Amino acid sequence: MGMTLDFSILLRFTDALAIGLWTTIKLTLLCIVLGTSLGFVIGLLRSSGNAFVRGLLGLYVELFRGTPVLIQLFWIFFCLPLILGVEFSNFVSATIALTLYMGAITSETFRASLRSVGREQMDACVALGLPRAAQIVNVILPQAVLRAVPTLLSNAVSLFKESALVSAVGMADLMFIGQNISNNTARPVEVLTVVAGIYFVIAFPLTRAVTVVEQKLLRKFSA
Amino acid sequence: MDYTLDLGAVTRNMGPLMDGLWVTLQLTLAANVIGVIAGFALALLTTSKLALLRWPSMLFVEFFRCTPAIVQIVWFFYCVPMIFNVFWGPVFMGIIALGLNLTAFNAEAYRASIQAVPREHLDAGIALGLSPTQRILNIVLPQALRNSVPVLLTNGIGIFQQSALVAIVGVADLMYQGKTLATATYRPIETFTVVALIYLAISYPVGQFVNWLERRQSHS
Repeated sequence: MGMTLDFSILLRFTDALAIGLWTTIKLTLLCIVLGTSLGFVIGLLRSSGNAFVRGLLGLYVELFRGTPVLIQLFWIFFCLPLILGVEFSNFVSATIALTLYMGAITSETFRASLRSVGREQMDACVALGLPRAAQIVNVILPQAVLRAVPTLLSNAVSLFKESALVSAVGMADLMFIGQNISNNTARPVEVLTVVAGIYFVIAFPLTRAVTVVEQKLLRKFSA
Repeated sequence: MDYTLDLGAVTRNMGPLMDGLWVTLQLTLAANVIGVIAGFALALLTTSKLALLRWPSMLFVEFFRCTPAIVQIVWFFYCVPMIFNVFWGPVFMGIIALGLNLTAFNAEAYRASIQAVPREHLDAGIALGLSPTQRILNIVLPQALRNSVPVLLTNGIGIFQQSALVAIVGVADLMYQGKTLATATYRPIETFTVVALIYLAISYPVGQFVNWLERRQSHS
Protein backbone atom coordinates (compact mmCIF):
# COMPACT_ATOMS: atom_id res chain seq x y z
CA MET A 1 0.00 0.00 0.00
CA GLY A 2 1.86 3.07 -1.25
CA MET A 3 -0.13 5.80 0.46
CA THR A 4 -0.05 7.59 3.78
CA LEU A 5 -3.32 8.37 5.50
CA ASP A 6 -3.90 11.79 6.98
CA PHE A 7 -7.21 12.10 8.78
CA SER A 8 -6.34 15.57 10.10
CA ILE A 9 -7.45 17.15 6.82
CA LEU A 10 -11.04 16.44 7.94
CA LEU A 11 -10.70 18.91 10.80
CA ARG A 12 -11.10 21.74 8.28
CA PHE A 13 -14.46 20.34 7.21
CA THR A 14 -16.19 19.53 10.49
CA ASP A 15 -18.71 22.36 10.02
CA ALA A 16 -19.63 21.27 6.50
CA LEU A 17 -20.05 17.65 7.60
CA ALA A 18 -22.16 18.73 10.58
CA ILE A 19 -24.47 20.74 8.28
CA GLY A 20 -24.77 17.73 5.95
CA LEU A 21 -25.55 15.43 8.86
CA TRP A 22 -28.19 17.86 10.14
CA THR A 23 -29.87 17.83 6.70
CA THR A 24 -29.79 14.02 6.70
CA ILE A 25 -31.30 13.81 10.20
CA LYS A 26 -33.94 16.48 9.53
CA LEU A 27 -35.05 14.79 6.32
CA THR A 28 -35.06 11.34 7.93
CA LEU A 29 -37.08 12.37 10.98
CA LEU A 30 -39.62 14.28 8.89
CA CYS A 31 -40.12 11.32 6.54
CA ILE A 32 -40.33 8.86 9.46
CA VAL A 33 -43.23 10.86 10.94
CA LEU A 34 -45.02 11.47 7.62
CA GLY A 35 -44.28 8.01 6.19
CA THR A 36 -45.33 6.09 9.30
CA SER A 37 -48.60 8.04 9.51
CA LEU A 38 -49.26 7.36 5.83
CA GLY A 39 -48.34 3.70 6.29
CA PHE A 40 -50.70 3.38 9.25
CA VAL A 41 -53.67 4.74 7.28
CA ILE A 42 -52.84 2.58 4.25
CA GLY A 43 -52.32 -0.50 6.39
CA LEU A 44 -55.77 0.00 7.91
CA LEU A 45 -57.43 0.66 4.55
CA ARG A 46 -55.80 -2.42 3.04
CA SER A 47 -57.06 -4.55 5.93
CA SER A 48 -60.63 -3.41 5.38
CA GLY A 49 -62.25 -1.04 2.88
CA ASN A 50 -63.65 -1.99 -0.48
CA ALA A 51 -61.93 -4.11 -3.10
CA PHE A 52 -61.18 -1.21 -5.46
CA VAL A 53 -59.39 0.81 -2.75
CA ARG A 54 -57.53 -2.32 -1.64
CA GLY A 55 -56.36 -3.04 -5.19
CA LEU A 56 -55.25 0.52 -5.84
CA LEU A 57 -53.29 0.73 -2.58
CA GLY A 58 -51.83 -2.73 -3.21
CA LEU A 59 -50.51 -1.45 -6.54
CA TYR A 60 -48.88 1.55 -4.84
CA VAL A 61 -47.26 -0.62 -2.17
CA GLU A 62 -45.92 -3.18 -4.66
CA LEU A 63 -44.60 -0.42 -6.93
CA PHE A 64 -42.59 1.16 -4.12
CA ARG A 65 -41.43 -2.15 -2.64
CA GLY A 66 -40.49 -3.68 -5.99
CA THR A 67 -38.43 -0.90 -7.56
CA PRO A 68 -35.09 0.70 -6.57
CA VAL A 69 -35.50 3.71 -4.27
CA LEU A 70 -33.15 5.57 -6.61
CA ILE A 71 -35.65 5.38 -9.47
CA GLN A 72 -38.44 6.52 -7.16
CA LEU A 73 -36.35 9.57 -6.31
CA PHE A 74 -35.60 10.27 -9.97
CA TRP A 75 -39.27 9.89 -10.82
CA ILE A 76 -40.39 12.37 -8.17
CA PHE A 77 -37.55 14.78 -9.01
CA PHE A 78 -37.85 14.81 -12.81
CA CYS A 79 -41.38 13.63 -13.61
CA LEU A 80 -43.68 14.97 -10.90
CA PRO A 81 -42.87 18.66 -11.65
CA LEU A 82 -43.61 18.00 -15.36
CA ILE A 83 -46.93 16.33 -14.56
CA LEU A 84 -48.09 18.92 -12.04
CA GLY A 85 -46.50 21.87 -13.81
CA VAL A 86 -44.90 23.16 -10.59
CA GLU A 87 -41.30 23.45 -9.47
CA PHE A 88 -40.34 21.82 -6.17
CA SER A 89 -37.29 22.52 -4.05
CA ASN A 90 -34.87 19.62 -3.57
CA PHE A 91 -36.00 19.22 0.00
CA VAL A 92 -39.68 18.96 -0.93
CA SER A 93 -39.00 16.43 -3.70
CA ALA A 94 -36.83 14.31 -1.42
CA THR A 95 -39.48 14.48 1.32
CA ILE A 96 -42.25 13.37 -1.05
CA ALA A 97 -40.17 10.48 -2.42
CA LEU A 98 -38.92 9.15 0.92
CA THR A 99 -42.36 9.59 2.54
CA LEU A 100 -44.01 7.53 -0.20
CA TYR A 101 -41.31 4.85 0.15
CA MET A 102 -41.63 4.80 3.95
CA GLY A 103 -45.44 4.72 3.66
CA ALA A 104 -45.26 1.63 1.47
CA ILE A 105 -42.94 -0.36 3.73
CA THR A 106 -44.62 0.64 7.01
CA SER A 107 -48.10 -0.12 5.65
CA GLU A 108 -46.94 -3.72 5.19
CA THR A 109 -45.60 -3.72 8.76
CA PHE A 110 -48.96 -2.52 10.13
CA ARG A 111 -50.89 -4.97 7.96
CA ALA A 112 -48.86 -7.91 9.24
CA SER A 113 -49.24 -6.80 12.87
CA LEU A 114 -53.01 -6.31 12.45
CA ARG A 115 -53.21 -9.86 11.12
CA SER A 116 -51.19 -11.18 14.06
CA VAL A 117 -53.73 -10.00 16.64
CA GLY A 118 -55.48 -13.28 17.33
CA ARG A 119 -58.94 -14.36 16.34
CA GLU A 120 -59.75 -15.06 20.02
CA GLN A 121 -59.32 -11.34 20.81
CA MET A 122 -62.10 -10.56 18.33
CA ASP A 123 -64.25 -13.33 19.75
CA ALA A 124 -63.75 -11.91 23.26
CA CYS A 125 -64.87 -8.47 22.02
CA VAL A 126 -68.01 -10.00 20.53
CA ALA A 127 -68.68 -11.93 23.74
CA LEU A 128 -68.37 -8.71 25.73
CA GLY A 129 -70.76 -7.04 23.30
CA LEU A 130 -68.31 -4.22 22.47
CA PRO A 131 -69.37 -1.98 19.58
CA ARG A 132 -67.23 -2.29 16.40
CA ALA A 133 -65.47 1.06 16.94
CA ALA A 134 -64.51 0.16 20.51
CA GLN A 135 -63.24 -3.23 19.34
CA ILE A 136 -60.85 -1.53 16.93
CA VAL A 137 -59.78 1.44 19.07
CA ASN A 138 -59.46 -0.29 22.45
CA VAL A 139 -58.51 -3.86 21.63
CA ILE A 140 -57.09 -4.40 18.15
CA LEU A 141 -55.09 -1.22 17.45
CA PRO A 142 -53.11 -0.97 20.72
CA GLN A 143 -51.94 -4.57 20.36
CA ALA A 144 -51.22 -4.22 16.64
CA VAL A 145 -49.18 -1.03 17.11
CA LEU A 146 -47.19 -2.60 19.95
CA ARG A 147 -46.39 -5.65 17.83
CA ALA A 148 -45.33 -3.39 14.95
CA VAL A 149 -42.80 -1.42 17.04
CA PRO A 150 -39.63 -3.50 16.37
CA THR A 151 -40.23 -3.64 12.61
CA LEU A 152 -41.10 0.06 12.55
CA LEU A 153 -37.77 0.79 14.21
CA SER A 154 -36.00 -1.28 11.55
CA ASN A 155 -37.93 0.60 8.88
CA ALA A 156 -36.73 3.88 10.41
CA VAL A 157 -33.10 2.71 10.31
CA SER A 158 -33.60 1.62 6.68
CA LEU A 159 -34.95 5.06 5.85
CA PHE A 160 -31.96 6.73 7.52
CA LYS A 161 -29.68 4.67 5.26
CA GLU A 162 -31.78 5.19 2.10
CA SER A 163 -31.71 8.96 2.71
CA ALA A 164 -28.10 8.96 1.46
CA LEU A 165 -29.54 8.50 -2.05
CA VAL A 166 -30.74 12.10 -2.15
CA SER A 167 -27.09 13.00 -2.77
CA ALA A 168 -27.58 11.55 -6.27
CA VAL A 169 -30.15 14.24 -7.08
CA GLY A 170 -27.96 17.04 -5.76
CA MET A 171 -29.32 17.51 -2.27
CA ALA A 172 -26.63 18.59 0.21
CA ASP A 173 -26.96 15.79 2.77
CA LEU A 174 -24.08 14.12 4.61
CA MET A 175 -23.22 11.88 1.65
CA PHE A 176 -23.28 14.73 -0.88
CA ILE A 177 -21.03 16.94 1.27
CA GLY A 178 -18.73 14.00 1.93
CA GLN A 179 -18.36 13.29 -1.79
CA ASN A 180 -17.69 16.98 -2.47
CA ILE A 181 -14.95 17.13 0.15
CA SER A 182 -13.54 13.85 -1.14
CA ASN A 183 -13.37 15.21 -4.71
CA ASN A 184 -11.93 18.59 -3.70
CA THR A 185 -9.21 17.19 -1.47
CA ALA A 186 -8.51 14.06 -3.56
CA ARG A 187 -8.56 12.18 -0.24
CA PRO A 188 -11.42 9.68 -0.74
CA VAL A 189 -10.06 7.08 1.68
CA GLU A 190 -10.01 9.39 4.70
CA VAL A 191 -13.16 11.35 3.86
CA LEU A 192 -15.43 8.51 2.74
CA THR A 193 -14.29 6.31 5.64
CA VAL A 194 -15.23 9.03 8.11
CA VAL A 195 -18.59 9.56 6.36
CA ALA A 196 -19.29 5.81 6.56
CA GLY A 197 -18.22 5.96 10.21
CA ILE A 198 -20.72 8.74 10.98
CA TYR A 199 -23.59 6.74 9.46
CA PHE A 200 -22.42 3.66 11.39
CA VAL A 201 -22.20 5.45 14.75
CA ILE A 202 -25.86 6.46 14.40
CA ALA A 203 -27.31 3.30 12.82
CA PHE A 204 -25.49 0.70 14.91
CA PRO A 205 -26.96 1.62 18.33
CA LEU A 206 -30.39 1.85 16.70
CA THR A 207 -30.16 -1.67 15.24
CA ARG A 208 -29.06 -2.91 18.69
CA ALA A 209 -32.09 -1.16 20.18
CA VAL A 210 -34.34 -2.97 17.71
CA THR A 211 -33.05 -6.31 19.00
CA VAL A 212 -33.55 -5.31 22.64
CA VAL A 213 -37.11 -4.05 22.04
CA GLU A 214 -37.91 -7.21 20.06
CA GLN A 215 -36.81 -9.46 22.93
CA LYS A 216 -38.74 -7.37 25.49
CA LEU A 217 -41.93 -7.58 23.43
CA LEU A 218 -41.48 -11.30 22.78
CA ARG A 219 -41.31 -11.88 26.54
CA LYS A 220 -44.36 -9.68 27.02
CA PHE A 221 -46.44 -11.53 24.44
CA SER A 222 -45.32 -14.99 25.45
CA ALA A 223 -46.00 -14.30 29.15
CA MET B 1 -50.54 18.79 -17.65
CA ASP B 2 -49.25 20.20 -20.96
CA TYR B 3 -47.02 17.23 -21.61
CA THR B 4 -48.05 14.71 -24.25
CA LEU B 5 -46.82 11.21 -23.67
CA ASP B 6 -44.78 9.58 -26.40
CA LEU B 7 -43.98 5.99 -25.58
CA GLY B 8 -42.27 5.66 -28.97
CA ALA B 9 -39.32 7.58 -27.53
CA VAL B 10 -38.75 4.60 -25.26
CA THR B 11 -39.79 1.72 -27.53
CA ARG B 12 -37.45 3.00 -30.27
CA ASN B 13 -34.60 2.85 -27.75
CA MET B 14 -35.21 -0.52 -26.13
CA GLY B 15 -31.75 -1.71 -27.30
CA PRO B 16 -29.70 0.27 -24.76
CA LEU B 17 -32.24 -0.49 -22.02
CA MET B 18 -31.96 -4.21 -22.70
CA ASP B 19 -28.14 -3.94 -22.70
CA GLY B 20 -28.47 -2.24 -19.32
CA LEU B 21 -30.83 -4.93 -18.05
CA TRP B 22 -28.30 -7.58 -19.08
CA VAL B 23 -25.60 -5.79 -17.03
CA THR B 24 -28.03 -5.52 -14.08
CA LEU B 25 -28.77 -9.25 -14.27
CA GLN B 26 -25.05 -10.09 -14.45
CA LEU B 27 -24.41 -7.93 -11.37
CA THR B 28 -27.32 -9.54 -9.51
CA LEU B 29 -26.52 -13.16 -10.34
CA ALA B 30 -22.77 -12.88 -9.71
CA ALA B 31 -23.29 -10.99 -6.44
CA ASN B 32 -25.73 -13.73 -5.38
CA VAL B 33 -23.21 -16.48 -6.11
CA ILE B 34 -20.71 -14.63 -3.88
CA GLY B 35 -23.32 -13.83 -1.23
CA VAL B 36 -24.79 -17.34 -0.94
CA ILE B 37 -21.38 -19.04 -0.60
CA ALA B 38 -19.33 -16.44 1.30
CA GLY B 39 -22.35 -15.62 3.49
CA PHE B 40 -22.38 -19.16 4.85
CA ALA B 41 -18.63 -19.12 5.56
CA LEU B 42 -19.00 -15.77 7.31
CA ALA B 43 -21.94 -17.05 9.37
CA LEU B 44 -19.77 -19.95 10.60
CA LEU B 45 -17.12 -17.42 11.64
CA THR B 46 -19.65 -15.26 13.50
CA THR B 47 -20.84 -18.32 15.44
CA SER B 48 -17.24 -19.45 16.17
CA LYS B 49 -16.13 -20.02 19.74
CA LEU B 50 -12.85 -18.20 19.04
CA ALA B 51 -13.17 -14.48 19.78
CA LEU B 52 -10.37 -13.77 17.31
CA LEU B 53 -12.55 -15.12 14.48
CA ARG B 54 -15.90 -13.99 15.88
CA TRP B 55 -15.23 -10.29 16.50
CA PRO B 56 -13.80 -9.24 13.10
CA SER B 57 -16.49 -11.18 11.25
CA MET B 58 -19.25 -9.63 13.37
CA LEU B 59 -17.77 -6.18 12.76
CA PHE B 60 -17.82 -6.90 9.00
CA VAL B 61 -21.50 -7.86 9.15
CA GLU B 62 -22.47 -4.86 11.27
CA PHE B 63 -20.54 -2.42 9.07
CA PHE B 64 -22.51 -3.47 6.00
CA ARG B 65 -25.83 -3.53 7.86
CA CYS B 66 -25.35 -0.11 9.48
CA THR B 67 -24.09 2.04 6.61
CA PRO B 68 -25.91 3.10 3.41
CA ALA B 69 -25.26 0.85 0.40
CA ILE B 70 -24.46 3.92 -1.70
CA VAL B 71 -21.68 4.89 0.75
CA GLN B 72 -20.28 1.35 0.51
CA ILE B 73 -20.32 1.41 -3.30
CA VAL B 74 -18.80 4.88 -3.63
CA TRP B 75 -16.16 3.96 -1.02
CA PHE B 76 -15.32 0.78 -2.90
CA PHE B 77 -15.04 2.46 -6.31
CA TYR B 78 -12.93 5.38 -5.07
CA CYS B 79 -10.85 3.87 -2.28
CA VAL B 80 -10.00 0.32 -3.39
CA PRO B 81 -8.16 1.50 -6.53
CA MET B 82 -6.29 4.03 -4.39
CA ILE B 83 -5.33 1.63 -1.61
CA PHE B 84 -4.45 -1.42 -3.72
CA ASN B 85 -3.64 0.33 -6.97
CA VAL B 86 -6.06 -1.85 -8.97
CA PHE B 87 -9.23 -1.27 -10.97
CA TRP B 88 -10.87 -4.39 -12.37
CA GLY B 89 -13.31 -2.65 -14.69
CA PRO B 90 -16.65 -1.16 -13.61
CA VAL B 91 -18.85 -4.28 -13.86
CA PHE B 92 -16.46 -6.49 -11.92
CA MET B 93 -15.95 -3.78 -9.28
CA GLY B 94 -19.74 -3.49 -8.99
CA ILE B 95 -20.08 -7.27 -8.57
CA ILE B 96 -17.54 -7.32 -5.72
CA ALA B 97 -19.08 -4.29 -3.97
CA LEU B 98 -22.62 -5.72 -4.17
CA GLY B 99 -21.34 -9.22 -3.35
CA LEU B 100 -19.70 -8.04 -0.11
CA ASN B 101 -22.91 -6.27 0.95
CA LEU B 102 -25.00 -9.37 0.22
CA THR B 103 -22.46 -11.59 2.03
CA ALA B 104 -23.05 -9.62 5.23
CA PHE B 105 -26.86 -9.74 4.97
CA ASN B 106 -26.90 -13.44 4.06
CA ALA B 107 -24.55 -14.23 6.96
CA GLU B 108 -27.22 -12.85 9.28
CA ALA B 109 -29.85 -15.08 7.67
CA TYR B 110 -27.64 -18.16 7.91
CA ARG B 111 -26.62 -17.40 11.49
CA ALA B 112 -30.21 -17.72 12.72
CA SER B 113 -30.61 -21.04 10.84
CA ILE B 114 -27.29 -22.42 12.07
CA GLN B 115 -28.24 -21.68 15.66
CA ALA B 116 -31.58 -23.43 15.08
CA VAL B 117 -29.92 -26.75 14.16
CA PRO B 118 -30.77 -29.05 17.10
CA ARG B 119 -27.84 -29.85 19.41
CA GLU B 120 -28.81 -33.56 19.25
CA HIS B 121 -28.08 -33.69 15.52
CA LEU B 122 -24.52 -32.55 16.13
CA ASP B 123 -24.15 -34.99 19.02
CA ALA B 124 -25.37 -37.75 16.73
CA GLY B 125 -22.73 -36.66 14.19
CA ILE B 126 -20.02 -36.92 16.86
CA ALA B 127 -21.36 -40.35 17.87
CA LEU B 128 -21.15 -41.49 14.24
CA GLY B 129 -17.52 -40.42 14.20
CA LEU B 130 -17.95 -37.59 11.65
CA SER B 131 -15.14 -35.05 11.49
CA PRO B 132 -15.97 -31.37 12.27
CA THR B 133 -15.85 -30.59 8.53
CA GLN B 134 -18.19 -33.49 7.74
CA ARG B 135 -20.55 -32.32 10.49
CA ILE B 136 -20.69 -28.84 8.98
CA LEU B 137 -21.13 -30.08 5.41
CA ASN B 138 -23.57 -32.94 6.09
CA ILE B 139 -25.59 -31.76 9.09
CA VAL B 140 -25.41 -27.96 9.46
CA LEU B 141 -25.25 -26.83 5.83
CA PRO B 142 -28.27 -28.72 4.42
CA GLN B 143 -30.55 -27.62 7.29
CA ALA B 144 -29.28 -24.03 7.39
CA LEU B 145 -29.61 -23.72 3.64
CA ARG B 146 -33.17 -25.06 3.57
CA ASN B 147 -34.34 -22.82 6.41
CA SER B 148 -32.63 -19.77 4.94
CA VAL B 149 -34.03 -20.03 1.41
CA PRO B 150 -36.86 -17.47 1.82
CA VAL B 151 -34.52 -14.88 3.39
CA LEU B 152 -31.76 -15.60 0.85
CA LEU B 153 -34.26 -14.99 -1.95
CA THR B 154 -35.52 -11.80 -0.31
CA ASN B 155 -31.93 -10.56 0.09
CA GLY B 156 -31.17 -11.63 -3.48
CA ILE B 157 -34.02 -9.57 -4.88
CA GLY B 158 -32.95 -6.76 -2.56
CA ILE B 159 -29.53 -6.73 -4.20
CA PHE B 160 -31.22 -6.70 -7.62
CA GLN B 161 -32.81 -3.40 -6.57
CA GLN B 162 -29.68 -2.10 -4.83
CA SER B 163 -27.67 -2.80 -7.99
CA ALA B 164 -29.21 0.38 -9.45
CA LEU B 165 -26.78 2.29 -7.23
CA VAL B 166 -23.80 1.37 -9.40
CA ALA B 167 -25.26 3.74 -12.03
CA ILE B 168 -24.03 6.56 -9.78
CA VAL B 169 -20.41 5.44 -10.17
CA GLY B 170 -20.78 5.02 -13.93
CA VAL B 171 -21.57 1.32 -14.47
CA ALA B 172 -23.78 1.04 -17.57
CA ASP B 173 -26.63 -0.91 -15.94
CA LEU B 174 -30.39 -0.55 -16.52
CA MET B 175 -30.65 2.49 -14.25
CA TYR B 176 -27.70 4.20 -15.98
CA GLN B 177 -29.09 3.54 -19.46
CA GLY B 178 -32.49 4.77 -18.34
CA LYS B 179 -31.07 8.03 -16.99
CA THR B 180 -29.00 8.53 -20.16
CA LEU B 181 -32.05 7.91 -22.34
CA ALA B 182 -34.29 10.19 -20.28
CA THR B 183 -31.76 13.00 -20.62
CA ALA B 184 -31.11 12.43 -24.33
CA THR B 185 -34.78 12.24 -25.37
CA TYR B 186 -36.19 14.73 -22.82
CA ARG B 187 -38.70 12.01 -21.99
CA PRO B 188 -38.22 11.38 -18.24
CA ILE B 189 -41.80 10.29 -17.55
CA GLU B 190 -41.95 7.57 -20.21
CA THR B 191 -38.36 6.41 -19.65
CA PHE B 192 -38.33 6.25 -15.85
CA THR B 193 -41.77 4.63 -15.80
CA VAL B 194 -40.70 1.91 -18.23
CA VAL B 195 -37.44 1.34 -16.34
CA ALA B 196 -39.30 1.12 -13.01
CA LEU B 197 -41.73 -1.39 -14.54
CA ILE B 198 -38.85 -3.54 -15.82
CA TYR B 199 -37.46 -3.71 -12.27
CA LEU B 200 -40.94 -4.50 -10.94
CA ALA B 201 -41.55 -7.21 -13.56
CA ILE B 202 -38.56 -9.12 -12.17
CA SER B 203 -38.81 -8.46 -8.45
CA TYR B 204 -42.60 -8.87 -8.05
CA PRO B 205 -42.83 -12.54 -9.13
CA VAL B 206 -39.84 -13.44 -6.94
CA GLY B 207 -41.47 -11.66 -4.00
CA GLN B 208 -44.72 -13.58 -4.55
CA PHE B 209 -42.75 -16.84 -4.77
CA VAL B 210 -41.08 -16.05 -1.42
CA ASN B 211 -44.49 -15.41 0.16
CA TRP B 212 -45.76 -18.74 -1.14
CA LEU B 213 -42.61 -20.50 0.11
CA GLU B 214 -42.96 -18.96 3.58
CA ARG B 215 -46.62 -20.00 3.77
CA ARG B 216 -45.68 -23.55 2.74
CA GLN B 217 -42.84 -23.73 5.28
CA SER B 218 -45.02 -22.44 8.11
CA HIS B 219 -47.61 -25.14 7.37
CA SER B 220 -45.13 -28.03 7.36
